[in-house]
Amino acid sequence: MAYCPKRLLSIVIVMLTIMLNLAPALARDWPQIIAAARGQTVYFNGWGGSEVINRYISWAAGQVNQRYGITVKHVKVADIGDVVSRILAEKSGGRTSGGSVDLMWINGENFHAMKDNGLLLPPYTQMFPNYRLVDTENKVSTLFDFTVPVDNQESPWGMAQLVFLYDSEVVNDPPSTMAELLEFCKDHKGRFSYPAPPDFYGTTFIKQALLELTGERELLYKPVDIGKFDQVTAPLWVFLDALHPHLWRGGKAQPKSAPEMKRLLADREIFISLSFNPAEASNAIATGELPESIRTYVHEGGTIGNTHFLAIPFNSSAQEGAMVLADFLLSPEAQARKSDPSIWGDPTVLALAKLSPEQRTLFDTISLGVASLSPEELGPVILEPHASWVTAIEKEWLKRYSK
Amino acid sequence: MAEALFKIAVSAMSGRRNRLKIFPALTLAVFLLPILVGLLFTWAPAFGYLSAAGSNRFSLEPFATLLHHPSLPGALRSTFISGIGASLMSLGLALWIAATLYGSRLWSTIELSLAPLLSLPHAAFAIGFSFLIAPSGWLIRSVSPFPSGFTYPPDWTTNGDPWAISLTLTMLFKETPFLLLMIFSGLSRLDVRRTIWVGRSLGYHRLRIWTRLIIPQLYPMLRLPLLAVLAYSLSVVDLAYIIGPSLPPTLAVLIDRWFHDPDISSRFVGAAGALLLLLVTLACISSALVLEYLISKIASRKILDGRRKSPFELLVGSGSFYALILLGVNVLSLTALMLWSVAHSWRFPHFFPARFSFSNWSTALSHLLEPVFVSALAAFLSCLLAIILVVGCFENEQNLARSRIDSISQRSLWIIYLPLLIPQISFLFGIQVLLIIFNLEGSWGTLIWIHLVFVLPYVFLTLANTYRSYDQRYSYVGTALGARPLRSFFRVKLIMLTKPILFSMAVGFGVSIAQYLPTLYVGAGRFATITTETVSLASGSDRRVMAVYALSQFLLALTGFLTAIVLPAIMFRNRRAMQN
Repeated sequence: MAYCPKRLLSIVIVMLTIMLNLAPALARDWPQIIAAARGQTVYFNGWGGSEVINRYISWAAGQVNQRYGITVKHVKVADIGDVVSRILAEKSGGRTSGGSVDLMWINGENFHAMKDNGLLLPPYTQMFPNYRLVDTENKVSTLFDFTVPVDNQESPWGMAQLVFLYDSEVVNDPPSTMAELLEFCKDHKGRFSYPAPPDFYGTTFIKQALLELTGERELLYKPVDIGKFDQVTAPLWVFLDALHPHLWRGGKAQPKSAPEMKRLLADREIFISLSFNPAEASNAIATGELPESIRTYVHEGGTIGNTHFLAIPFNSSAQEGAMVLADFLLSPEAQARKSDPSIWGDPTVLALAKLSPEQRTLFDTISLGVASLSPEELGPVILEPHASWVTAIEKEWLKRYSK
Repeated sequence: MAEALFKIAVSAMSGRRNRLKIFPALTLAVFLLPILVGLLFTWAPAFGYLSAAGSNRFSLEPFATLLHHPSLPGALRSTFISGIGASLMSLGLALWIAATLYGSRLWSTIELSLAPLLSLPHAAFAIGFSFLIAPSGWLIRSVSPFPSGFTYPPDWTTNGDPWAISLTLTMLFKETPFLLLMIFSGLSRLDVRRTIWVGRSLGYHRLRIWTRLIIPQLYPMLRLPLLAVLAYSLSVVDLAYIIGPSLPPTLAVLIDRWFHDPDISSRFVGAAGALLLLLVTLACISSALVLEYLISKIASRKILDGRRKSPFELLVGSGSFYALILLGVNVLSLTALMLWSVAHSWRFPHFFPARFSFSNWSTALSHLLEPVFVSALAAFLSCLLAIILVVGCFENEQNLARSRIDSISQRSLWIIYLPLLIPQISFLFGIQVLLIIFNLEGSWGTLIWIHLVFVLPYVFLTLANTYRSYDQRYSYVGTALGARPLRSFFRVKLIMLTKPILFSMAVGFGVSIAQYLPTLYVGAGRFATITTETVSLASGSDRRVMAVYALSQFLLALTGFLTAIVLPAIMFRNRRAMQN
């Protein structure tokens, strides 16, 4: 996107207008926000594809209702992009207040798009009492969402790291690099695949491959340089060209999403799947969705990791309630419960060192789960490349494999 | 167009002589304006206008991007194969079953099974059918590990194949029952038994009687349902997502994806795509009409050639085979869903779940109550409004026919079929913007209205034949015995038509329950229906929970049909002539 002064100016004007509108709300301190939140109804929009997660949210809704008198309505959607569309339509229709969405589960490209188009509330997370417990020092992705500065416009909720799930019944020695994965696929034809981009997980797999294979990793953290695109990505296409004939169904069809991959793994159609939640295997074993033989592995040198967030749209009609809910979800109590693999298993964004001893015991008592890796085994987290690369890579991928 | 609207309004207001005139005018108002405005608002981004993204300059770039998109040719191919293939095949299958089985016991079985077949939601059927035919699915499990020797599923391409064959089959099995329903209702207006008798006595073979005598009379009543099936198959999103091709997906899935792409500039391409899909649909509909014209030209020349026998006579026996496959596939898909809903774990190659559990149901039950209630209420109210409008329109039609008046609003009634013929995705975004401008989204009123838009055409379609073939002399007798026309209408006509009215309401009830995109776009997240919950869970991985929700959806729709069957049976338990 070229810098266009007029466009920039209009964004600034919009932002200023919004800030002026909201100035009274933001000037208040936390007790005042809690007081204003009482009696509000918060419409929390998020992906609703997992009963485990839905149940956790319904627990949190009960808690904030009891403690703060806030009613939380969980609006379950199949794709959060629909919600972004709705907020966009509201802005097109001139709805600057009284919007239909109060809090949304978001990250990466959707956050980028909303921030760019002025669809988010101005900075507010710095006011949250629990925000100071966030591990911003070691978990850099809580400050930079896919390299885009968060600027306190979304509240960290959970950590994600790309892991691979495998069926130990048939795979004894899981691959630890992309080259080994290719070897595995040659030996076990049709027993691995990845979701077709632009699915989020498919794109992540390709980014991971690119980061592992390219010799010029540092370029990926700057805006895409079209002149160098071919050179930087050449090893990726060589790898994918070699991989595709050995994929599930000969690469002629690909799963549409990571949940579909999980079903294929359970059905024994594939032997290796992927996930963004390091505790997913343990959780799915606990619920019976995956068999006991599923285990987790990561690649040498680390895998891509990021943070998912909660954001308040610019025209939310229950901003205070949304803030109190987001802060509650950041509390050690809620975060510990969330990271329990028997409940959800989503890793915390908090720094355990910043917690009081009592708060820390909440986390210490959680068992990791049978199929999870310890933090040491999970290895280093690789940051997401600059968002502009994703667009360019997706485009090239579609040209090559989705004709 | 404006002039026509004006005339409708004037004719409605000056209707001193006949208050019934209000019905067609009202019915059109419910449809025409919002859809036209919705289309325009949806198209705006295709030409570069999207104020929220700071773009308000005319541009054709979205079309250039669309036409150069690498996935477009493949997506169009899948769309054409599945859309045209499914509609032609389901018409052929429905007619073949009717021609070969009419009057047999299997034919009555099919009639009885129509209600459950129509109650099974599209997405639920697709999930079940996909599990049936997948390499790790039920059919292959039935022969594994013995005698197939598969301890692991074979790496075959069955469901989600790149040629869209599995998608075409899914729609074939799902649309054929709807066309059969239309055939049943169409045949009720023809004197089939006597036609067959005359044909037989002249020595015509069964198939000849159908092609020469019955289908030419029946087809005009199947034309609209066929076009609706065609438009639906070309633009369906959820089925294509569950069982359609992936590299690339169909055009409708591409558009849906562009409309919720994180990159907001994708909305421009999405809008251009929505316009293209509308053009594709219109082109297919016109081709179907041209094809119909050509066939009828050729056939009308042959109709008097006097041939009694048909070379296809030998194949007549295949009718029951196809009908059994149709029923079998539906029963198996439904059974698979039931088993999944009580499974704890069920891996390949187990034919039955290794462990059963009722916790899927017990945990879901408390979450199901609200969505079921919202769905049922919205469906009931939209059906009620629909039936009032539809009956009003029919009465007006019969009134006009009696007085031989040609009314513009009556002639414009075909417009109510627009929502069936125009892809939903091509006007819903625009309607959403429109509602937001007028601060109307997310209310019960708008929810019921948008459901009404889709329910009404189906109610109209299913009731038309029986309502129009009602013998007015019954009402005349009522009036002659001293009842005022209104009383005779309520006490004689409506009572006699109770059964078809309730049945068409049940069809509308099912249609309302199945609405996903309309609920999503105008509901503003305020209404969790059984369908929005099912679709959001279908984006997850847990087949067991999905099965619980899909079955609840099925049961709710089935309740509507059962009510429509049981209620008249109770009402008329002492009226033998009304039993059948």
